[in-house]
Amino acid sequence: MSATEAVPRHPPVSAAPRGTPQSPLEETGRGTRWAVWVILALFMLWTLVPLVWMLMSSFKNRTDVTAATPQALFQPTLDNYRGLFSGPNNLTPYIWHSVLAAGISAVLAVCLGSLAGYGLARTAMRGKRHLAFWIISTRMAPIAAVVVPLFIIFRGLNLIDTIPGLVLAYLTFNLPFAIWLMSAFFAEVPPSLEESALVAGCTRWQAFWTVILPLTKAGLVTTFILCLVFAWNDYAFAVVFSGPNSQTLPIAASQLVTQTGVDWGQLTAIGTIVVVPMMLAGLAVRRWLVTGLTLGAVTGE
Amino acid sequence: MTHAADHSPVLERARPETAKPREPRIGFEGAMMTPGLILLAALSIVPFLALIAMSFSHVRLLGGVSLDLVGLRNWARFFTDADMWMSWLRTIVYFVLTVGLEMVLGVAVALCLYRVLRGRNLLLGLLLLPMFVAPSIVGLLGRYLTDSTFGLYAWVLRSVGYSGDILGSPISAFAAVVFMDVWEWTPLIALITLAGLSSVPQSVREAAAVDGAPGWMTLRYIVFPAISNVLLVALLIRSMDAIRYFDIIWVTTNGGPADATKIVPVRLYETAFRFFDLGYAAAIGLAMLAFSIFIARTFVRLLDVRGLTR
Repeated sequence: MSATEAVPRHPPVSAAPRGTPQSPLEETGRGTRWAVWVILALFMLWTLVPLVWMLMSSFKNRTDVTAATPQALFQPTLDNYRGLFSGPNNLTPYIWHSVLAAGISAVLAVCLGSLAGYGLARTAMRGKRHLAFWIISTRMAPIAAVVVPLFIIFRGLNLIDTIPGLVLAYLTFNLPFAIWLMSAFFAEVPPSLEESALVAGCTRWQAFWTVILPLTKAGLVTTFILCLVFAWNDYAFAVVFSGPNSQTLPIAASQLVTQTGVDWGQLTAIGTIVVVPMMLAGLAVRRWLVTGLTLGAVTGE
Repeated sequence: MTHAADHSPVLERARPETAKPREPRIGFEGAMMTPGLILLAALSIVPFLALIAMSFSHVRLLGGVSLDLVGLRNWARFFTDADMWMSWLRTIVYFVLTVGLEMVLGVAVALCLYRVLRGRNLLLGLLLLPMFVAPSIVGLLGRYLTDSTFGLYAWVLRSVGYSGDILGSPISAFAAVVFMDVWEWTPLIALITLAGLSSVPQSVREAAAVDGAPGWMTLRYIVFPAISNVLLVALLIRSMDAIRYFDIIWVTTNGGPADATKIVPVRLYETAFRFFDLGYAAAIGLAMLAFSIFIARTFVRLLDVRGLTR
C-alpha cells in the first residue's frame, strides 16, 4: 500500500465558506444537475418569451405585428411609439395621470405609514392585536368589495374622475400596506438605539427622526416602490373611478381594444411603457422584495 | 406578534412624569399613529358601513345617490341565485387551479434555483420580471399571444395540432386565464420559497447527508418541515391576491365565453357597473370580504404563534 492511496480523492470536508449554500456533502449526481438545468431553461422560456415578444412587437410595423406566421426577424420601426405621442390619441396625459396618482398615493402612504408603523411597532397599548388585524384585513380586502361603496361615496363627494379620487382609492390598499410593512421594518431596529438617543438628550421625535428613520432607509425605499408598483399597475379602481380627466396608462392600453379592431403594435408599445419602469424599480429593491411582498412575515434572500 | 412591543424602562421614563402623574391617554406612539389611522378609518370603516347599508337597500344613482331600504331582498337573491352559485363554484376552481399550480411550480423552480450556485441572482432577477407587469397588460398580452390568426402561442399550438380559438371556447379560455395568472405569480412563490430555503441551516442538511439520506428523503423530512411556515405564508399571500385581482379576466374574456370565466369579482363588477344594481353588488362584496378576513385572521395567527424566519 503506497502512501498516495491514503490521500483522499476529495478535499477534506470543512465548513462551507460563507455564502455557499451547498455543502460538498450534498453534491448531486449528473442526472439531477441536468434535470435542474432543463427545468430552469424551460421555465425561463415560459417566463421571458411573452415579455420579449411584447418588446419585439412594439417595434414591428402594421403588417409584421399581425402576420399569420410570427415574424422573428423584421425591420424595426419606431412608428408605434411615434404614433402614441403624436396622432389623435396622445399618450402624454395618461402618463401624467398615472405618475400623479401613483406617485402621490405612494408618497402619502410612506409618510403616514412610517409614522403609524413606528407607533404600531413600539406601542404597548391594549388592543394592539386588534389594531394590527384591522390594518392587515384592510389591505387584504378584495378590490371589488371596496370599489362599490367608494363609488357611492365618491359620487357624493364629487371625486369621480379626479386625481385626488384616484389617490384616495389607491390609499385604501397602499396605506395599510405601508403601515404594516414599515412597522415590520421598525420592529427590526433594536429599541436600545432609541434609549441611548434619549439618554443623550433627544426627544422622542428627535430619536425617531435622526436615529431610527435613517436606519430604515431600505425599508422606506422598498415600501415606496411597492406602493408605487401596486398603484401604477391598478386597473380595477381606475376603470370605475377615472374619466377623461384622470385615465391612467392601463386604461389607455385597454381602450385600444375596440369593436373595429386592435392596433396591436401600439398596444404592445403602451405595454412596454407601462411595464419597463416598474420592472426597473422592482429590481432595484430586489434584496428587500421578499420582506416587502410577504408583508414582513419572511425575511431573507 | 411580530411587532412585539419591545418595552424598555427608558422609553417609558421619557414621558414627562412630573407634568402628568397618570399615564397620558395617548402617548408618543399614539400621536404617531393618529394621522395614518384616521385616514385609514375614513378609507376602510366608512366604506365598510356603507357596504353593509347598501346590501340592505336599493341604491338609486339618478338625481343624487339615495338608498331605499328593502330589507333582506338582496340577500335572499344572493342565496337563491343559481348563476351566482355557479360563479362561486367557478371561483373555487379558478382559485384552486391558479394557487395550486403556482405553489407547485414555484416550489419546484425554487428548489432548482437553489441548486444553481453561479448566476443565481441574474436568473432570479429575470424570473421575477412578470410580477411587475400590470395584470391588465398581462391580459392584453395574453390576448395578443393567443389570437387565433396571428398569436404566437396559437401558432405554436397549431403546429402541434390544436387549431381552435383559444379564448373562444369555454374550457380553453378558462385554461388560458389560469395560465396567464400562473405566468404572472409563480415567480412570487419561487422568491418566497427561496428565502425559506436559504434559512434552512446547513448543519442540519449536512447531518442528513452524513447519515446517508437520499435527496428526496432530505427534502421530505428536513427541508419541507423547515420551510413549511414560509410556504404557508406564500400560500396566504397568494390566496389574498388571487381574489383581489381579476383584471386579467376582465380584459381578456370579460367573463365569457358562455360565462365560463365569470368568477365572483367579475360578476360583482358586472352587477355594479353594467347593470348598476349596487345593492346586490354590495351583498356579493360582503361575502367576498368575509373570505379575505378569514385569510387575514389565519395570517395574523400564524405570525402570532410562530416567529417564522425573523
